[in-house]
Amino acid sequence: MKARYLTTAAAAALALAGLATAANAAGKWDGGDDLATSPLECGMGPAAPAAPMKYDGGQPTNAADKAGKEIVVVDVPKLIGIGYFNATAKGIQDAAKDIGNVKAKTDGPTEAKIDEQIKFIDNYITSGVDGILFAANDPVAIAPVLKKALSKGIHVVGYDANSTPDAREWFVNQSPFNGIAKSMVDAMAKETGEDGSFAIVTSTFTTPNQARWIAEMQAYAAKCHPKLNWLETVEAQEDNNLSFNQATTLINKHGDKLKGIFGMTSVATPASAEAVTKAGQCGKVAVVGLATPNAMKPYVHSDCVKSVVLWNPIDLGYAATYVMRAAVDGKLKPGDTSVDAGKLGKLNVINGSEILLGAPYIFDKANIDKFDF
Amino acid sequence: MSVFAASPGRRVPKWLARHETLLAIILVAALAGLGAFNNRFLTVDNLLNQGRLMTEIGLIALPMTFVIITGGIDLSVGAIVGLSAVMLGYSWKTFGFPLPLAIAFALAVGGLAGFVNGFVITRVKVPPLIMTIATLALYRGLAEGVSQARSVRGYPEWFYGLGQGEWLGVPTQLLLLVVLIVIAGVALDRTTFGRTLYAIGSNETAARFSALDVDRTKVVIYTLSGLASGLAAVVLVSRVTTTRMDMGMGYELDVIAAVVLGGTSIFGGAGTIWGTVIGLVMIQLLKNGLALTGVKGDATIVVIGVALIMSTLIASSLQRRRE
Repeated sequence: MKARYLTTAAAAALALAGLATAANAAGKWDGGDDLATSPLECGMGPAAPAAPMKYDGGQPTNAADKAGKEIVVVDVPKLIGIGYFNATAKGIQDAAKDIGNVKAKTDGPTEAKIDEQIKFIDNYITSGVDGILFAANDPVAIAPVLKKALSKGIHVVGYDANSTPDAREWFVNQSPFNGIAKSMVDAMAKETGEDGSFAIVTSTFTTPNQARWIAEMQAYAAKCHPKLNWLETVEAQEDNNLSFNQATTLINKHGDKLKGIFGMTSVATPASAEAVTKAGQCGKVAVVGLATPNAMKPYVHSDCVKSVVLWNPIDLGYAATYVMRAAVDGKLKPGDTSVDAGKLGKLNVINGSEILLGAPYIFDKANIDKFDF
Repeated sequence: MSVFAASPGRRVPKWLARHETLLAIILVAALAGLGAFNNRFLTVDNLLNQGRLMTEIGLIALPMTFVIITGGIDLSVGAIVGLSAVMLGYSWKTFGFPLPLAIAFALAVGGLAGFVNGFVITRVKVPPLIMTIATLALYRGLAEGVSQARSVRGYPEWFYGLGQGEWLGVPTQLLLLVVLIVIAGVALDRTTFGRTLYAIGSNETAARFSALDVDRTKVVIYTLSGLASGLAAVVLVSRVTTTRMDMGMGYELDVIAAVVLGGTSIFGGAGTIWGTVIGLVMIQLLKNGLALTGVKGDATIVVIGVALIMSTLIASSLQRRRE
């Protein structure tokens, strides 16, 4: 009797697994998202300036006039307690000190959960802050609560991970997605050759920035490096051990076919480099990815990794705070083309309501020692 | 609400009724204290908004009370929320179901997921803890597999009425929760179904020999648990306007915390819907009140943990005194 039920349960489980696999086969299991892509032109030429767009952000209703007065700003990142957002929080504090009349604090969920983040923002709306800085766990899910903030006269500025444009006034863009994608794919094609095979180690398939980069990389590779062969994309959270294991599995599974690994997070890239080093595959398997320079120095110096792509997260938080102050003071209005960002100088407005921090920076053996973060 | 507080005295040991009274007193004291610190806390707007935010957990906490009263547990509720949310978006977008049908489908998937739990638990005699840990992984995996971790967005405007709208100034989903609280309270307190749950939790063998249909009752409550998770998924999708496979992750712990804080014995046989509601409100308002008073997120979690331990200590010391 019991055995029959067990068999039934096992059969049901198999059927379910089959269903999931069939669903996978129907589409590509690559970790990208479904949004439209805009791959840049191939080659080294400077990117053509995008056509100017009309301001598409939202505006707070009946915001109190706090121009020149002290404002209280809360920063709600995707999660707290990881190096990357510690760095942006430091940038925010640095800027608050440089500006003088901004009181900023960082608070957020300890895990990157969207409903937790929404509750944090909701509570800060009720407690009555003047401004909210955010890095969204989901661009659409966060929109209703941000719109609520705007409707209560609170200024809203995003950084790192965007929301839908009409849910915030401005977004500080560390680097356009298609720019990062181009840098990454070009670097990979240069190292593996135009017909190399590569795999990707990402955080999770639902992380918006990573999903966006992967989708853009896919579009750019199809356009400019059509012979590059995409083996698979694996998830490794933002976990050092798991990233190392996943990269090692990739090396063992694909053997000689694997010519390169993309690391999509600042954790996955050094872990992949470590896996390649440990497997004795330096020079045979290229590692290209997003990472902070300090974590990558050993691998760059041992020639295992040739190029690392990143922006400076401290500057990102710093710029976001200046944008918030300028928006409150009325110095950054819809239609403006640039904003003053303290020690970073003037930053340009792109895509209607985004402030561009800069082009992605490529660290290599020649310059990596000049950076310390 | 007092209907539920007054009557359990007959069936449920006295200390339990006292535990809830005590909890209610602590709740009122904590609210008054936090309200004194912060004038934005005890406002109608804020309290109604907190009601909106706690609805998903509350919906699942009702059948979870039933499950825990029988001495069982359902750890797969968060995963069912994810699976139902994905099914809602997927059936609407990919199968082209009209949205009302997609909502019904999502609820059905939730119910089916719960039924599978109950079926295997009663027929194969797998302990609920093991079974629902397994389906926690299974359902979350299915949600990821079917959706390929892609979000579904752009629902029609009317759908957002459930999660963001209000009726006579009260959030829509809070009304839904209140109605279901009353139904669950009456079912647990005034029906043979409710008494069967206490009987199973107190002594399952005795319940079987009393000719109670233990297995069928268990299948029903696990199915209800899945159904409520499906409903919570629909409310959540409507509130945040998007579908993600990681929705509801970790809900099982929030739900169980509310139920246990409300005085339901994790060993079964004792507990009330009334207590669960107090537990739910207490956790939500403590988190909110502390946040408004300027306590940071990580410290708030510590306070919730301390509150849980205190409540267990109070419950067990009251029980000892009774003995």
